[in-house]
Amino acid sequence: MSGSKVKTATLLLCLLPGVGYLLALFGLPLVRVLSGSFTERGSEGPTLATWAELFGNPVYMDGLWFSLWLGIAPTIVSLCISLPLSALMQANETSRKLFGTLYKIPLVVPGIVAGFLVLVILDRGGMAGRLLAPLGVTMPRLVRDDWGAGAIIALSWKTVPFMTLIIAGSMAAISKDVLSAARTLGANHLTVLRRIQLPLAQPGVTAAVLLSFIGSLGSYVIPSLLGPSYPLPLSVHMFSEGFQQGNWPMVYAMGTLLSAMAIAVLLAYYAIIGSLSRNDTARG
Amino acid sequence: MKPSLSIRQLTKQFDSNLVLKGIDLEVAAGRFVVLLGPSGCGKSTLLRTIAGISDPSSGGIWLKDRRIDAMPPEQRNFGLVFQTYALFPHMSVEKNVAFGLEMRRVNKRDIAHRVAAALELVGLADYAKRLPKQLSGGQQQRVALARAIVIEPDVLLFDEPLSNLDAKLRDTLRDDLRALQQKLGVTSIYVTHDQSEAMALGDEIVVMKNGEIVERGTPIDLYRRPAYRFTAEFLGMTNVIEAKLRDRACQLPWGDVRELENPSERDVEGVAIRPEDLAIEAVETDHHGVVEQAMFMGAATHYWIRAAGKTLRAITSGGRTAILPVGQKVRLVPPPMLHLLRAHHPLQEVAA
Ligand SMILES: Nc1ncnc2c1ncn2[C@@H]1O[C@H](COP(=O)(O)OP(=O)(O)OP(=O)(O)O)[C@@H](O)[C@H]1O
Ligand SMILES: [Mg+2]
Repeated sequence: MSGSKVKTATLLLCLLPGVGYLLALFGLPLVRVLSGSFTERGSEGPTLATWAELFGNPVYMDGLWFSLWLGIAPTIVSLCISLPLSALMQANETSRKLFGTLYKIPLVVPGIVAGFLVLVILDRGGMAGRLLAPLGVTMPRLVRDDWGAGAIIALSWKTVPFMTLIIAGSMAAISKDVLSAARTLGANHLTVLRRIQLPLAQPGVTAAVLLSFIGSLGSYVIPSLLGPSYPLPLSVHMFSEGFQQGNWPMVYAMGTLLSAMAIAVLLAYYAIIGSLSRNDTARG
Repeated sequence: MKPSLSIRQLTKQFDSNLVLKGIDLEVAAGRFVVLLGPSGCGKSTLLRTIAGISDPSSGGIWLKDRRIDAMPPEQRNFGLVFQTYALFPHMSVEKNVAFGLEMRRVNKRDIAHRVAAALELVGLADYAKRLPKQLSGGQQQRVALARAIVIEPDVLLFDEPLSNLDAKLRDTLRDDLRALQQKLGVTSIYVTHDQSEAMALGDEIVVMKNGEIVERGTPIDLYRRPAYRFTAEFLGMTNVIEAKLRDRACQLPWGDVRELENPSERDVEGVAIRPEDLAIEAVETDHHGVVEQAMFMGAATHYWIRAAGKTLRAITSGGRTAILPVGQKVRLVPPPMLHLLRAHHPLQEVAA
């Protein structure tokens, strides 16, 4: 018994450098944010006032849902582009070369530039509008619209290459023989994608979804440039609360809420993935 | 009766590299044909083209009288077994075997039935719930075999299925595979570069070199009476000896004269003497050569004999004779009939 206690202690000691580092760099700031959210501007003692204000203000609550929307929508849009693109890149040498170059272009364009590109092209009176006008087609409102379409387009433009990079990478790691075996057994391209490529590339897809969702959820530049004036995502609120109002407890509360939301969405995502993949595994 | 397979004038080009140079091959229904050739000669490419995974550059493939070369692989109903096993790593053994049946929309109860029967056939009934990574290489290849036969394929294709296994397992699985193929009577094409595997398995062997078929025949014919030197040398060991041809006989460099089996052969590169057909006798005088090296292999002893300016191989079997020491003078006793070998000239590369 005491031997195992010594072992546990040794183990903890060995873990200390790594875990301590994580705690110091990651845990402490998190604790600071969390505890900061239980304070109030101008007073010291712990209070729920800031949280009450956050949940009581419909402007903030609309902001929260809009943040979620801006996290989820571009992730779904880019997944719909990246998945088929990654699968196509596995099909043959020609498509690998073609798409392999194309998808990297957005990678070298900074977010703010991408935002302005979308603005110049898709805004009313922008390039697309002027090109389509002679054909009698009027552009729908895509910039500063209620649904944030412009922001979603710009965010997707940024995430597609990252997603493709990760997903194509994990798909390329699947043995070509395994894919050929599925074909000869009677699976067409789509079935191979669904039954073989997706489940085997799932860790890559998950990583890509995670990166894209977190990135878009916290994005500031693109929604302020292309998003509607109402609602504003929490990221934009956080900036103005902090730097324009000096209301740091509110910034902390919003940050905590945003992180909690991210964790909730990711847990839901894992639950869905888990139930999808259970069909084919041994525990069946 | 299972259908026959015909391949006509099949070519395959990768960029400017002509990998298959007009293959003509008929595989009769129910036959087990082995494609044998050195690495890089295009065996896998041919097999993958038959399976539909790779498209031919020209030529056609017929299953009985149905042309199939434009058909995608999922419609061909061919079973393919790979050197790498190629099992679906995220599916259990039974899910792997069931996959082809699910694609054919067989109902659930029949699937369970047929999967169980196929696993029984390959001796893996107790492993149905395992994942591939929980099996040994030999077991994995058995699963792959079960997965290929459970769909009752018109043709079974094998691409060096035993190459990743150790020697002992290779022999057992080889024998099982042959027995299974005979039981099912499926038309089969088997790719290998291992000549002993080819001879043990094939009803017929097709020898390939540089994207062409050199010759084909039963294992015995190809071993005993190959037309080409390439075949003779690829199918086991052989001594190729330059002999003086005279009419229906030939004179070997050390003086012996022997009758020829095929005296009318043209473009001759030499006569073939298999090491096991070349007997040696220890002598004190009038010797033909000396023992350069002797290797005791258990069932047989291998000799390297220096004679007529080159090194010849001889194999003596049985345990009654003592092993001759290095330096021993010997007489060579060739068999009564000798076989002429022809030179093989590759097709002129077609300019791209
Ligand atoms: N996808 C490809 N692109 C270009 N060249 C290829 C491709 N696949 C095969 N080749 C070439 O075709 C030739 C034949 O290859 P193949 O795989 O058919 O040989 P093999 O007879 O199966 O050899 P091994 O016994 O080593 O498996 C080789 O020279 C190879 O380099
Ligand atoms: Mg090969």
